[in-house]
Amino acid sequence: MTAGATLLGVGGGGLLAACGSDSDGGNSSASSGSLGLLTVRLSWIKNVEFAGEYIADQRGYYKAAGFSGVNLISGGASATPQDTDVATGKAFIGISSPDITANAITQGAPLKIIGAQYQKNPFAIMSLSKSPIRTPQDMVGKKIGVQATNESVWSAFLKANKLESAKITKVPVEFDPLPLTTGTVDGWFSFVTNEPNALRVKGFDVTTFMLADHNYPLVSETFMVTDESIAKNRDKVKAALTAEIHGWKDATADPTLGAKLATTIYGKDLGLEEKEQQLESADQNKLILTDVTKQNGLFTVTDQLIEENIATLKLGGVDITAEELFDLSILRELYKEKPELV
Amino acid sequence: MNRLVTVVLARVGRMMLTVLASAAVIVGLWYAFIAVFDLNSLVAKDPQAVWDYLFTARRAPASRKAIMDGLWHTLGDAGLGYLFGTVAAIVVAVTFVLFRPVERALMPVAMMLRSVPLVAMIPLLTLVFGRGLVAVGVIAGIIVFFPSLVNLVFGLRSGPPAAADLVHAYGGGPVMVLRKVSLPSALPALFVSARIAVPGAIIGALLAEWLATGQGLGYYMQRAQQTFNYGGVWASVVVITVASIVLYAVVGFLEAVVLARYGPSPGRGGRARR
Repeated sequence: MTAGATLLGVGGGGLLAACGSDSDGGNSSASSGSLGLLTVRLSWIKNVEFAGEYIADQRGYYKAAGFSGVNLISGGASATPQDTDVATGKAFIGISSPDITANAITQGAPLKIIGAQYQKNPFAIMSLSKSPIRTPQDMVGKKIGVQATNESVWSAFLKANKLESAKITKVPVEFDPLPLTTGTVDGWFSFVTNEPNALRVKGFDVTTFMLADHNYPLVSETFMVTDESIAKNRDKVKAALTAEIHGWKDATADPTLGAKLATTIYGKDLGLEEKEQQLESADQNKLILTDVTKQNGLFTVTDQLIEENIATLKLGGVDITAEELFDLSILRELYKEKPELV
Repeated sequence: MNRLVTVVLARVGRMMLTVLASAAVIVGLWYAFIAVFDLNSLVAKDPQAVWDYLFTARRAPASRKAIMDGLWHTLGDAGLGYLFGTVAAIVVAVTFVLFRPVERALMPVAMMLRSVPLVAMIPLLTLVFGRGLVAVGVIAGIIVFFPSLVNLVFGLRSGPPAAADLVHAYGGGPVMVLRKVSLPSALPALFVSARIAVPGAIIGALLAEWLATGQGLGYYMQRAQQTFNYGGVWASVVVITVASIVLYAVVGFLEAVVLARYGPSPGRGGRARR
């Protein structure tokens, strides 16, 4: 992979040729570009969170899998929710989270989760270390900044920990954690990979605790597609997952790779700091690569974890069965057909 | 007095007709919009779907409660904003009329502030005023303040000069002119601005709820959109629009009553004839 990394620095067309021959050389049935352009709807702005997608694009994994190219659609605070874009056909595959997709399905959206990047959800409560919040109980009597998007997670998390919402002041915030540093709030709802590292790089000493360690075991950064795609475009879904697996294998092997692509190409206009992106990438790789996924393959979710997810969603008031929300059969088939992907 | 009743009734009748006609046009445009742009029914709800969401669906009572709770909160916020904005506008307008140099110095500044987009100022406003009721009053009040100010200054000046001269001739000062001539003749202006300001106050309240307080319909809509609850989004838009139209009609009704009595030509309304 280090050879790949240096190649990446050089960039250009030679790179595609060099990496196209990597491991499997693409699906033999899929002649180049026959599957058309793949649209992937990301769950957030184009930072290192999507390292695997950037690498798959740069190294031609999408093309090797049979696509003519890839269109990565950015998300963000004011973007249309990702599940909407997939349900209405604006994107073929989307990256979301079980709570959002479950809500969409209960409202009639024909979607299924077909795999999960993060085995453990990255939600965390961040506080300044000079007045740290180390456990859910520490939040009582404090002001916590919560974004509208994360509202359902927040209320489910409180229920899971039997905390009364009246005893904690929830403050509606956007995504820049500045109000935490100015003392407007005491805690900040974050992606453990993201905001804490942003503040650390700026020199703040922050404390975090993860929701996943306190009765909120949800997978995250889940792939979802429509039921129709699962029924009629199985090969296309498999091709997309193949490219994603290749990209993410490279990303998890080297956190500097995605950080460089995010700061210099995909998120060039976002003012990202490469150092911070590297920290974030390394943190996120820990959520993706677990003993289980090393053995079963990236993005797989065990039946037990699925059951835990369903139980957690129920706590948040979302009533949905495992069959209605998850369909991991495609991923299972894929790993059976191509065991070398594991 | 009979004349007054007739005037008011005619006004109310005309208004009902207008409201019905606009409702029909809106529903027609709504269906047409969805058809023309071929919008996905998961996201784009038609009037029938909104009706189902609010009244016939299994979860309708819960949905209705969530939206009505939000609506009352938002109307409260809007009322607060209207009060803040109007009181401030009256005070400033009176100051402008009594002290002309103040107007010359400050009116251009006020107009310049007006052109700063409110959404862009909200982070600053929440920093200064916090995220409570004061912030709501200020954010919604700003939207109310500017149109009211312009209308009121104009209204206060619209009193007949002869009447002002009369007050002067009897030894009255500027304050007396203000009380006897300017303020009564500014009443129509107050209502004209109310018709602009009341819907404005609702917009301001929604904005404040969305970006500052996290309560009411403004935040409910944001949340509904994020949780794929598009029925909730559309139903909220309908409910807040209806509320806004009703308030507009109420202001128009009050205007009819007050103007029939104190308006620019009250003579047509009664006393002078008899």
